[in-house]
Amino acid sequence: MTTTPRLPEKTERRWLRAVAAVFWFLLPFLLVGAVWELTIRAGWVSSASLPAPSTILRKAWDLSVREGVLWEHLGRSFYRLSIGYALAMGSGLLFGSLLAMNRALREMFSPILSLLISVPTIAWVPVFLITMGLGDSTVIAAVFLGGFFAITYNTIRGIEMVEPSTIRAARTMGARGARLFVSVLLPASSVSVLTGLRLGIGYSWRALVGGEMLSAMVRWGIGKMIYQARFWNDVVAMFVGLLVIGLTGFLLDRLLIRQLERATIERWGMVSER
Amino acid sequence: MTQNIIEIHGVSKQYGKGNRSVVALKDVDLRFHRGEFAVLIGPSGCGKSTMLYLIAGFESPTHGRILLDGNEIREPGPNRGFVFQDYVLFPWKTVLGNVMFGLRRTGVPHREAKQTALQFIEMVHLRGFEHAFPHTLSGGMKQRVGIARALAYDPEVLLMDEPFGALDAQTRKLMQQETAEIWKETGKTVVFVTHSVIEATYLADRVIVMTARPGRVKGIIDVDLPRPRQYTEDHYLHIRQDILGLLEEEIRQSALGTTSTLTP
Amino acid sequence: MRGRRWILPILLVAGFLGLWELAAHLGWLNPSLMSSPSRIADALWKTHVRRLPERSILLTHIGVSLQRVFLAGMIGTGSGVLIGILMGTSRVVYRLFDPIVTLLMPIPGIAQAPLFIVWLGFGDPTIITVGAIASFFPIAFNTAAGVRSVDGQLVRAARLMGVSPAGCLPRVYLPSAAGHIMAGVKLGWARCWRTVIAVEFVAAASWGLGYMIWDASEYIRSGVVFGGILLLMLVYFAMERVVLEGVERLTVRRWGMIQS
Repeated sequence: MTTTPRLPEKTERRWLRAVAAVFWFLLPFLLVGAVWELTIRAGWVSSASLPAPSTILRKAWDLSVREGVLWEHLGRSFYRLSIGYALAMGSGLLFGSLLAMNRALREMFSPILSLLISVPTIAWVPVFLITMGLGDSTVIAAVFLGGFFAITYNTIRGIEMVEPSTIRAARTMGARGARLFVSVLLPASSVSVLTGLRLGIGYSWRALVGGEMLSAMVRWGIGKMIYQARFWNDVVAMFVGLLVIGLTGFLLDRLLIRQLERATIERWGMVSER
Repeated sequence: MTQNIIEIHGVSKQYGKGNRSVVALKDVDLRFHRGEFAVLIGPSGCGKSTMLYLIAGFESPTHGRILLDGNEIREPGPNRGFVFQDYVLFPWKTVLGNVMFGLRRTGVPHREAKQTALQFIEMVHLRGFEHAFPHTLSGGMKQRVGIARALAYDPEVLLMDEPFGALDAQTRKLMQQETAEIWKETGKTVVFVTHSVIEATYLADRVIVMTARPGRVKGIIDVDLPRPRQYTEDHYLHIRQDILGLLEEEIRQSALGTTSTLTP
Repeated sequence: MRGRRWILPILLVAGFLGLWELAAHLGWLNPSLMSSPSRIADALWKTHVRRLPERSILLTHIGVSLQRVFLAGMIGTGSGVLIGILMGTSRVVYRLFDPIVTLLMPIPGIAQAPLFIVWLGFGDPTIITVGAIASFFPIAFNTAAGVRSVDGQLVRAARLMGVSPAGCLPRVYLPSAAGHIMAGVKLGWARCWRTVIAVEFVAAASWGLGYMIWDASEYIRSGVVFGGILLLMLVYFAMERVVLEGVERLTVRRWGMIQS
């Protein structure tokens, strides 16, 4: 009649699973990389236009270990990302909560939000360039905008979708007002909120790269690195940059958001919307 | 201290307006006595759950008043405990966290709340599961947490809305027995909604039979059998028949519109 | 059931047009013998515009952007659906492509632009290519998911009624996955739109809504900049309402596969 709560998986098995997952993930890259390398070596495609993986990797090594330049670029990018995203997270959660709780505000702002969302974030950059100058602030503003909408929208949706019975249960136990909101509504909307955070960081990262490319006074940054590489016709550097962008975007999702999910909704058995 | 802890005066509840309106309850007058175990029973749609929601304060009556201890009920509050059919536990809190929730909301300091919560967890036989998350528990266990949670902050009345409807037959029987024990131990006033006559006869001091929609009180049957009760004893079966008698006509009425969910 | 018959042809035509266009740009086709779809459309457009009393610069900008979005979207849709189907039906293909798609998807179009500028120069080829890539990913992804989620029972039922394994594809898989594909197409076109505008910022030589906005910002003509953004909103809404929802209504909603 009684069931025991699930035991945590044995540590060895978890390690094995992690290693297997990494292997399966890397395999396609290794395969594609090998084919690619061979094609270049065989001379079927000119290596001037399409560099071989080995060349790209060597350049990556140069940029990161030998010159350390890559880290400078990344560091600067992360600095802007953190500020912009933190702002987006804070204001997105706040604004989203306010809108979810207050019908008047919601009806006032919803149409404006829908309209603003339809504009690609990058299109705002010229506006920022004119009003905020050509440096860091523009990029941070772009990062902020990228994340803000996704987080706001998903927060509103999450709170709206909380079951009425959950709210009733909380109220009958004496929770009301701010208490009700913080200790019940927010945790109950975790699934949507986390989706918003995940989408937000993706958009923010992309906005970062774009913003860096367009801001003339910005010297350092992964987006700028790619942009500048064009003036030297340094295709290899571009490839390195693109791979770094892709990899970072991927890691931000898997390491950051996924871990957050693990600690919250997966632990609580609130299955994701995947 | 009044004898009648809950008084229901001329209560009606209507949903919607005009042609599309549904009258769930019409002119209901009831008194619940302090410390009794009252059961509301009736065909589907008779408004028994609505009645419970009104007492809980989740909704307001369209006409009439409901008094708890002489004060009119307007909102939900910690002087009533509610047990839902689908448990409605907070998935982000452990069993302990869930049971402590009401206590903390009513201002009880952490350490004391924890102690009290542990006692109630013990009472519902869930010792050892304090730090488990609800999604790892079975249905019966979840409902025990639900009961513990509702009792922990010492409400005046315990409201139970078909609490065992989602459980299998075996677990259900067990929960009925345990509920009877808990009631004996705590002496709370309980208003219990069900559509199982067996369940009603086993648990109740009084069974209030309601009519098909719009819901009214059809009849009240006193169950003065000694406790603990036996499901198969003569007198018990007798009372079951009485209740069924009242209900049959209502079931037929309600079956004309909806399918009956009554289990004799 | 008439709707079902023409979703596949539409996709095939899109894919075909897309490949044709690509071939023309890569120089595989003899220009005197075979024109490309875009050149045809361009010629049509030029004549149309020349016929108007005033040649509206604004409309030209918008038109050029839309043209690019349309082309890029068609290529992306065609190839996305094809690859998506491959990914969905074959576990091997899926395992091969999924990690790559996952890694490449977060790379913004604008970051790919410098590379393509080196390869293809400024202007249409780069813009359309990057736009196509941007729309490709969500469409491939969603199509694969849709095909994979097809209820095995439906396939079995069809096989029992005498449909060959290959015949299942247009008759069972595609219609069932239509909801997912539609979602992917919506995402894909939205992405295509955003990317084209963004790439126009850096890669357009003279025409395009993105070019217009960027150029204006370099001369600090904020009126044009803001006006441009407003236009972006309007055009996007028109695009969404008219084109996408129209297609949806005619196909997937009629089949009751999405709530309207």
